[in-house]
Amino acid sequence: MMKRFLFFIIKILLLIFIVLVLLDVAYTQVYLQSTHRGKIDYVYNSKARNYDVVILGSSRANNHFVAPLFEEKGLKTFNYGMSGGHLFEASLLVKLMVERHYKIKNVILEADLNLANEQQSESVASKFLPYIHSSKVIKAHFAQQPHFWANYYIPFYRYIVFEPQIGFREMYEAAAGKPTKLLDHLGYYPLGKNPNANMKNDLTNLKPLNNRYYEEIKEVCKVNKINLVAVMTPMCTNTKGLDYFEKVHQVYPEIYNYENVVVGDQYFSSCGHMNDIGARLFTNIIISEFFKK
Amino acid sequence: MFFNSLSFAVFLPIVFVLYWFVFNKTKSTQNALLIVASYYFYSCWDWRFLFLLVFSTFLDYYTGIQIEKAKTETTRKLWFWLSISVNLGFLGIFKYYNFFAASFSELVNGLGLQTSPLLLKVILPVGISFYTFHGLSYVIDIYLKRIKAEYNFVDYSLFVSYFPLLVAGPIERATHLLPQVKVKRTFDFEKAKEGVYQIIWGLVKKVVIADTCATYANAIFDHYQSMNSLSLLLGAFYFAFQIYGDFSGYSDMALGMSKLFGLDLLRNFNYPYFSRDVAEFWRRWHISLSSWFRDYVYIPLGGSRGSKFTQVRNLFVIFLLSGFWHGANWTFIAWGFINALYFLPLLLRDTNRSNIETVKLQWDLTSVKVFFSMLSTFALTCLAWVFFRAKSIGDAFDYIGRIFGDRNFKVQYLENERYSYEILLLIFIFILVEWNTRTKIEPISGRYSWLKVTLCIAAIVALGTYSDYKEFIYFQF
Repeated sequence: MMKRFLFFIIKILLLIFIVLVLLDVAYTQVYLQSTHRGKIDYVYNSKARNYDVVILGSSRANNHFVAPLFEEKGLKTFNYGMSGGHLFEASLLVKLMVERHYKIKNVILEADLNLANEQQSESVASKFLPYIHSSKVIKAHFAQQPHFWANYYIPFYRYIVFEPQIGFREMYEAAAGKPTKLLDHLGYYPLGKNPNANMKNDLTNLKPLNNRYYEEIKEVCKVNKINLVAVMTPMCTNTKGLDYFEKVHQVYPEIYNYENVVVGDQYFSSCGHMNDIGARLFTNIIISEFFKK
Repeated sequence: MFFNSLSFAVFLPIVFVLYWFVFNKTKSTQNALLIVASYYFYSCWDWRFLFLLVFSTFLDYYTGIQIEKAKTETTRKLWFWLSISVNLGFLGIFKYYNFFAASFSELVNGLGLQTSPLLLKVILPVGISFYTFHGLSYVIDIYLKRIKAEYNFVDYSLFVSYFPLLVAGPIERATHLLPQVKVKRTFDFEKAKEGVYQIIWGLVKKVVIADTCATYANAIFDHYQSMNSLSLLLGAFYFAFQIYGDFSGYSDMALGMSKLFGLDLLRNFNYPYFSRDVAEFWRRWHISLSSWFRDYVYIPLGGSRGSKFTQVRNLFVIFLLSGFWHGANWTFIAWGFINALYFLPLLLRDTNRSNIETVKLQWDLTSVKVFFSMLSTFALTCLAWVFFRAKSIGDAFDYIGRIFGDRNFKVQYLENERYSYEILLLIFIFILVEWNTRTKIEPISGRYSWLKVTLCIAAIVALGTYSDYKEFIYFQF
């Protein structure tokens, strides 16, 4: 009786394993074909793009650098800033571009508030995980992270844990070829006015680190002869602890402080994010400072 | 340690192996192991409340014996009321004291007097409503001479604290479970296999149906003021399936894992959403609680005997108590009251027992009527669930008012970043599966069981909601 039951349980466990493997293969195959759901699959499933300017960073890059304005100046540009992303993901993305043989002349990196954080942003980092078995840089980048073993070796584990990001719904939409808005406007995501926005922020407890991933980005750019322009971007008027940007400058003097070049809440959608008008003002300043022909 | 957690997935096989391979010599060793496992399981929630559980167990064990041994009626009554008072006292302090204090204070403030209630900073011990009701039924049954007192403390403790039923039922009866723990269990392959199937189906209900519906129901209920009629209707619909999947899924898992140890627990759900009237619904929903109130409150009050007035009074008493059992909030009382109102016409027309047998549908006119009676019962149930889910009675009325007042039926994009209709297909498939298996315990056993197990496993891993972890709703009761 018990022997029969043990065989029964072994068969169930085997079945679970087979289901996990099959689902893992199926989901991964879908993501390996996906090119228009977000910036990560857009890079992963591409080859050797050429750029004059690549923009990296968090939402403060994504919403602040108007890529089409660079294009108007004849600079082939794409904004790869990712909302919610940290430098962990920015570093991985630039390494992935190099792995994909991109030719990049300049990287503009938004490096300010995100310098205070060396953690991965799970909501963004998880989007790299479908490719963990097929990209050496992705595997190496996650190797020191918690749960790497489970993500790498347990079939389908990553799709269960990060179900909102890469689970069934996202897989289904990728398989159906549904595009998102993330790649519109050359990656730049314009914000409008938000009457209910919280127009204050407190940075007093924030301390810039000797950030490992910023160092990685610098190293990648140096090795691949990419000109790195690291900048701090504006905050709204009612921000406490603005000396944070001075502290950044002390740790990393090469990072340009553009925090105060766009002043006035009329240019902001929320305290840390400029609206489209502010972003255009800011981008024009950056272009004129760094890309005068 | 939730039934659907990784730690429980380790705990259960360890207990299973020890139970059948190490402690399998006698029923005493089997029971002792299950008691240790149950106390460990309970202490994983909060070890401090283990003392409360042990005290409550000992109290009912001891008073049960004293009631039986009592030589005079006065002594019998004394021990009986001591047990009842202490049991209800614990429940009152931990679960209801703050509610009564706050409500009293509000009432007094409403009369123009200023008071600030003395509130206790206590957390509700998990499962207290369930194990208290186990103990109460045991003591009442001894007092009414339906059963003999149990003299073996380990056996009695297992009846109260058995981990599959400890924190959310089903509410067992001594007449049902105690005889099973009094004999050594031998392994039964078919029973264990059925148990595994029931656990798998319970997991489908919990992580695929309940937790997925919860993300939509929460997005709608938490922002109901910005929702239109369609979203509000869907919100009530999703909550109906959230609470059903959550609680019946838990019960399926409890019953299933108990079968692994050779013990049968009382069935708690019998496809309640296929009921043709509210009376039938209450014979199929949370059966162990409904039958508890029937046997220990409704029938002692006179039940359906006596005048119509007495019957109506008894009806409202059990539904209000049932609502209040769920939690210290007026919304639960209102939910009970609404269900009593639904039941009232059936009672007055003596039609509350007209739908006993399992529902069948054919291609004829009678079936159309049956179908619409099921649909209307479900709609009424959903309306009552709004009170169960809402934060206050005012919110519930506002919610329902907006359903009928807004009259906008456009699809809305919700806070959970999904369109309001997105899981309708999943729920529809679930309803079809339940409909086709409504005469069985679970849908997996029978023909093509391996195919069905595969589909269930695939659904659990691929369609389950894991990101926003949700406790079982009934753990809070």
